Amino acid sequence: MIRAAALGVLLVLATRGAAAQALPELRFEAGYASLRQPGLGELGGNSTADAALFAVFWRRPTDRWTLYTSGNLTYARDSLAAAQGVAAVSFPWAEFSPWRTDVGAAGASFSLRSAGSGGNGNAFVRQHYVTDRGGAWGGATVGGTTRDGLWSDASAADVGAWGRFNFLYASASVSRLFTSDQLLFETAGLVAPNEPGPYELADWQLVLQLRGGPHDLTGSYTRRRTVAGADFGQEAYAGSVTVQLTDRAAFIGTAGRQLADPVRGLPQADLVTAALRLSLGPKPLPVMQRSAIAEALVTPVPGGGGDLEVRVFAIDTLAVEIAGDFSGWKPLPMEREGSFFVAHIRLRPGKYHVGVRTNQGPWRAPRNLARVRDDFGGESGLIVIP
Amino acid sequence: MSMHRVRTLVALVLASASAAPASAQGTSVLPIADAKARVAVEREIARAQAKGLPTQPLIAKAMEGVTKQATGERIRVAVASQAKRLEQARALLAPSQSVAELTSGADALAVGVPAPMLKQLRAAWPVDRSVAMPLDVLTELVARGIPAKHALEQITALMKRGATPSQIASLGTSVQADVAAGLAPDAALEVRARGVMSLLPSPAAAASLAPTGSRPPR
Repeated sequence: MIRAAALGVLLVLATRGAAAQALPELRFEAGYASLRQPGLGELGGNSTADAALFAVFWRRPTDRWTLYTSGNLTYARDSLAAAQGVAAVSFPWAEFSPWRTDVGAAGASFSLRSAGSGGNGNAFVRQHYVTDRGGAWGGATVGGTTRDGLWSDASAADVGAWGRFNFLYASASVSRLFTSDQLLFETAGLVAPNEPGPYELADWQLVLQLRGGPHDLTGSYTRRRTVAGADFGQEAYAGSVTVQLTDRAAFIGTAGRQLADPVRGLPQADLVTAALRLSLGPKPLPVMQRSAIAEALVTPVPGGGGDLEVRVFAIDTLAVEIAGDFSGWKPLPMEREGSFFVAHIRLRPGKYHVGVRTNQGPWRAPRNLARVRDDFGGESGLIVIP
Repeated sequence: MSMHRVRTLVALVLASASAAPASAQGTSVLPIADAKARVAVEREIARAQAKGLPTQPLIAKAMEGVTKQATGERIRVAVASQAKRLEQARALLAPSQSVAELTSGADALAVGVPAPMLKQLRAAWPVDRSVAMPLDVLTELVARGIPAKHALEQITALMKRGATPSQIASLGTSVQADVAAGLAPDAALEVRARGVMSLLPSPAAAASLAPTGSRPPR
């Protein structure tokens, strides 16, 4: 029972951690999860568990790199606990390059307050190609898990592609997994004790997401079949919703089936989670995100003054706004032109402060302008028009 | 009513008007949700106005805070800081009193331009010529990481050689372009200042163009 709960808790941790990775700034999440593992019940274990969740996510973008890390802590009702940490860096190959590489590592420990203990470590590298309307990726992950002193290793390779059609995002991916983690599949009722592995699995997954402003609704379908070591097939459906309640608070709900993930040591389970996300603490330093790089260009006009053109390279962005002295700091929407959002503003000679933001995020200075502190913990771009 | 009483009454009315919250002077449009904070910000603006400082840059600062979703208290502190810088700039740029010059001076101080440099820059041009643009370019160059002393030397040299505000502004634009192309800000300023300088009349000719009595000290 202890082992089952520990595995379940770890599953929730990883699920929450993955959701948090799409978020900027410093955020806290707290919530509740209900887990069900029918396969474990058939083996005489406790097939259900409740858990309280707490997660922290922090991201620090620079001009080129994005460093992010997250930590999760979960307490289940029978006083078990688990913790997980992720640290990764994401960087484009060059300015405006569609190529981006993500490298990271994660570690988890569970059953911290109970008899028995275990842990997982994994590392990943993923190469992305990102355009305005879609992209593709390929990557590999290696990991190892120990439970009560028993070690098992795993590896996976995956490729996928995604596309955007207005507010609908769709992705499809295939992956191949190799593992010796018999316990993971035995507790799911998929293999017998006399099928020790190793196993080779093939997955394919389809994800659809509807985005409206800061809200989103996501659904996924996963199909798995065995290639070697065992003989079973599975299907899984899952869904999640994010509703932004205020500027700083959002509700996140998930429901569905998570298939066993041998690379991260996660068991199969049906789960329902509800969490509240709070954005607290300082906002990230006001530098442009990798996916939203603004540049300003001034073209002098006869008789003095100039045309200020601000272009924001912003893939995967719904809205970009510009504001400054010239607008009385009233945000003005920028127009989408292909992979860019663009604003043209006629200015008289003088000095102007300029800020740009994407998707209601923090205001940032166009990267090629001089940057000045703004008295509000952020900064603005400074431009002088001849 | 005696003339003395009339004068006293006028003085009282003026005093009460200048001490009134800014909401009575057209700044009640500040969209700060927290009513208490809004009053505090308006009071800061009214206080600055009573000192004869321009309110427009203070309202702009408050609006910037609103747009950036700063707290009411943070907006109040930002407005008070800006008022303090405006007051300091007014003293340093005297006798200049224009809103543009005071705002430029305040912004220069905000990026770390040493106070005495504002005086030096003011002295480089006759008092009837606005130094707003040279101050703005100085601010931009310092914000780019160019040492204030070096930037001031280049700008005042151009001012003394009779450069127009537009020529000085183009210096900043050119440096920006060079920096974007990969040149170090310091080196870009050196090269570009030399370029502008080559277009200007000789020092002797520039001196003869300056109005008698308002020529900057050498």
